[in-house]
Amino acid sequence: MSEKKLVIALAGNANVGKSLSGETNVFVNHNGKWTMNQLKKLVEDVFNSQPVTRIDETDCATPQDLSVVSLNLKTLRTEKSKVTHVLRHRERRNLIQLKTSSGRTLIATQDHNFIVAKGETTKIVDAKSLILGDQLPVVEKLSLEKLEMLAFSDIAWDKIIEINEVNCGDFVYDLVVQGNENFMLANGIFVHNSVIFNYLTGLHQHIGNWPGKTVERAEGTLHFKGYTIDVIDLPGIYSLSTYSIEESVSRKYIAVEKPDVVVNVLDATVLERNLFFTLQLMELGTPMIIALNQMDLAKKKGIEIDADKLERLLGVPVVPMVAIKGIGIFELLEKIIEVAEKGSMVSRVEVRYGEEVEARVARVIKMIEGIQLPYPPRYIAIKLMEEDEEITKEVEKIDPKIVPFAKELAGEIENLHGHSCPTIITSERYEVAGRIAREAQQLVSPKKPTFEERLHTITTHRILGYPIMALSMLLMFYSIFTFGDYASELLSNLLYALEPIFLTLFGTEFLGKLIWGGVMEGVIAGVTIALPYIFPFYVILYFLEDLGYLSRVAFLMDNVMHKIGLHGKAFIPIMLGYGCNVPACLGCRIMETERERLLAAFVTTLVPCAARTVIILGLVGKFMGIQWALAIYAFDLLIILLLGRLAFKTLPGEPTSLIMEMNDFKMPHVKTVLKQTWFRLAEFIKIAFPLIIVGSLTIKLIELLGLLEPIAALLSPITVSWLGLPAITGITLIFGVMRKELSLIMLATLLKTADFALVLTQVQMIVFTLVTTFYIPCIATIGALVKEFGWKKALSITIFEIVFAIGLGGIALRLLPIIV
Amino acid sequence: MDQSAKRREVPLTALRNGQCGVVTSIKHGHDMGHGRGWGFEKRLMDMGITPGTRIMVVKSAPFRGPLEIIVRGSRLALGRGMAERIFIEAEGQ
Repeated sequence: MSEKKLVIALAGNANVGKSLSGETNVFVNHNGKWTMNQLKKLVEDVFNSQPVTRIDETDCATPQDLSVVSLNLKTLRTEKSKVTHVLRHRERRNLIQLKTSSGRTLIATQDHNFIVAKGETTKIVDAKSLILGDQLPVVEKLSLEKLEMLAFSDIAWDKIIEINEVNCGDFVYDLVVQGNENFMLANGIFVHNSVIFNYLTGLHQHIGNWPGKTVERAEGTLHFKGYTIDVIDLPGIYSLSTYSIEESVSRKYIAVEKPDVVVNVLDATVLERNLFFTLQLMELGTPMIIALNQMDLAKKKGIEIDADKLERLLGVPVVPMVAIKGIGIFELLEKIIEVAEKGSMVSRVEVRYGEEVEARVARVIKMIEGIQLPYPPRYIAIKLMEEDEEITKEVEKIDPKIVPFAKELAGEIENLHGHSCPTIITSERYEVAGRIAREAQQLVSPKKPTFEERLHTITTHRILGYPIMALSMLLMFYSIFTFGDYASELLSNLLYALEPIFLTLFGTEFLGKLIWGGVMEGVIAGVTIALPYIFPFYVILYFLEDLGYLSRVAFLMDNVMHKIGLHGKAFIPIMLGYGCNVPACLGCRIMETERERLLAAFVTTLVPCAARTVIILGLVGKFMGIQWALAIYAFDLLIILLLGRLAFKTLPGEPTSLIMEMNDFKMPHVKTVLKQTWFRLAEFIKIAFPLIIVGSLTIKLIELLGLLEPIAALLSPITVSWLGLPAITGITLIFGVMRKELSLIMLATLLKTADFALVLTQVQMIVFTLVTTFYIPCIATIGALVKEFGWKKALSITIFEIVFAIGLGGIALRLLPIIV
Repeated sequence: MDQSAKRREVPLTALRNGQCGVVTSIKHGHDMGHGRGWGFEKRLMDMGITPGTRIMVVKSAPFRGPLEIIVRGSRLALGRGMAERIFIEAEGQ
């Protein structure tokens, strides 16, 4: 079995859901004996004896020595084929029951594929596309002896005479058959088999509407026609020119790793822009297939695309798809195998630029002949002329003479055209993309504004847009904190119930205390914040993103963000920050320049995350009233604006403006949302958990060594004299570095009461809350900052915030008595 | 470029809602060479805004907010600072 790699430009999901009813009977060969088995029993038996893996919603296992009768579609002869996988999934939709003219019946899911006669050949269609009169291949006269000999010469075609929908709500089953990809049922009908999709399944066009979020590479494997195919999920790319980290990741991967096939997923609704990227991919010279996705949405928008014509115009195979519904995936996989095996059947069309450009590109190509770079010479030459930073640097390293030469030629073009050379090349490339798009697509004017369009109009409305946004945000936070409080307490009680077990295991002495108080409480701290707050937060946020709403919010908030030297997109990490600062800092990658990433990250560390909200609501909100809690939020916003503006004025460089695609609204895709959430959660766990555990271990150690009191005493000039707080708050502030709300929990423990009104004055409450809100990004956030910006910048932000918070607290102490 | 063409050039921000225009030039910030500003213009071009491109302004967000434009069949949000540097020849009056 050969191993093939292929690259999918964007990730997918979506279960294929191709299966048959469990009652279906099949002939199988096991230990050299043919028997008739019920599909359900067959699959369940394998599940009971073999390890079961779960792919999306499908359970999957590999049987040992199991074969079925399959049909070779080329020769129309039967063969014995190995079953490589058995599958099971729960189907919620109605099933489709078929009845043929010979009286045979079968029940399958709506997406199950069938082989039907099409003139002289066959084609594959899914159950819901079957129509009366379609003909299925069957074996007429069945007997076990004949099975043994596999001597079926009499393949007949049986007409479908009845199609009904039947209820299901139960497991459905299927097999994966090596080679022929189909198998014979006990009644003689041949049905197509399942294809295991792990990653590819959806080819869901956007992973959300935000370009470039999955920087880390995601990989998956699928099996098809005897191939093991590695699917590499690359981040979304607008242009192959080095613009952001994501783009460079993809380009490098394609150029260096040289995958066998690159699948370029195009959004059929915006063909022209997508083709621009396609043309650049083509210049990289890798074998390629175009998955023309979202054909249904394009149609709804009044765009008809002629896939065959597009294929001819580009010279690259084009497969029209509605990936989210599983339409076209099978064809795509077949095409992938075909291209990997035989190379593309169509010859690639080369993008030709204007004469002036081409003449000079040719001269550069001559110059770089023999240069050792993973990119094709023409690609390098064009990129040099386009003044692509990364390629220029790489070429400079090898031969410093080439770059000035290319620059000189580019200068000539600029003189000829009056525009810079990169501009000329880009516009010419766009011209080609535009011409191809115009030829391949037909615009049928849409009848009336679609629902999606009206939704866009109202959510970006200059007046209505803002209350809608405010309402959505309020609803989001309200539901998260209502759920979070409840779930957090539940979880925490549950986990603390483990304490006696631990203490009996490790004793109540030093070791036991260290393991429970250090390691386990660290874990609990992480879990009780991650699951109840961060998880639902991201589910909702990515739901809004996949829906397309976040880009509208960015549109509305752009001018506010400009006040702090950022643009609308920065609002997204800031919102993320209200959940947890860690993913928010990482989320700043969506900003275009290093300067903006740093600025946005700095601002997000000031955003009161879920943990700080616990303090604000639990101390000020509970003991002083909700209006004071809201005042603190408002004050925090003010500080964000002030410090953001200050940082913006201090950091060198010029602000950039917003430029962002606002994709059409669409129904969010549950799997994409969950995948994104999981991605963020995993990131949080990876960065935060080790730090929280090590940190909490350290503090426990300090405590057990009896050093807490001395440290508190050491801090008392600040805590007592300057901030006017009880001395023990010094200890709680140290705990807060782990996780901010620990500082409140510790305060209750140390003061031996949760009724803070008895031990703290109102001014002290506010001072304490302000200090904990600002005084340091928690240890996990520092970790995230280090990861993104390095030690120096992380440390500067940390030190600045400590000094700022202490200063602010002291000032608050002296000013607050006037108003409280 | 001749003088008469230059005279008709207006920044994109001068268009009314619903009005179209064809891009004539994109002004570089002269002080930024090929640094960040250049990267941004590259992005602009990669998003399909190049000389000769037809742009329709749909609307703008209030308080000097970004513009919503239609370019090459897709909907973009474009910051005002950027829009001011895109010069177009307006269609119709």
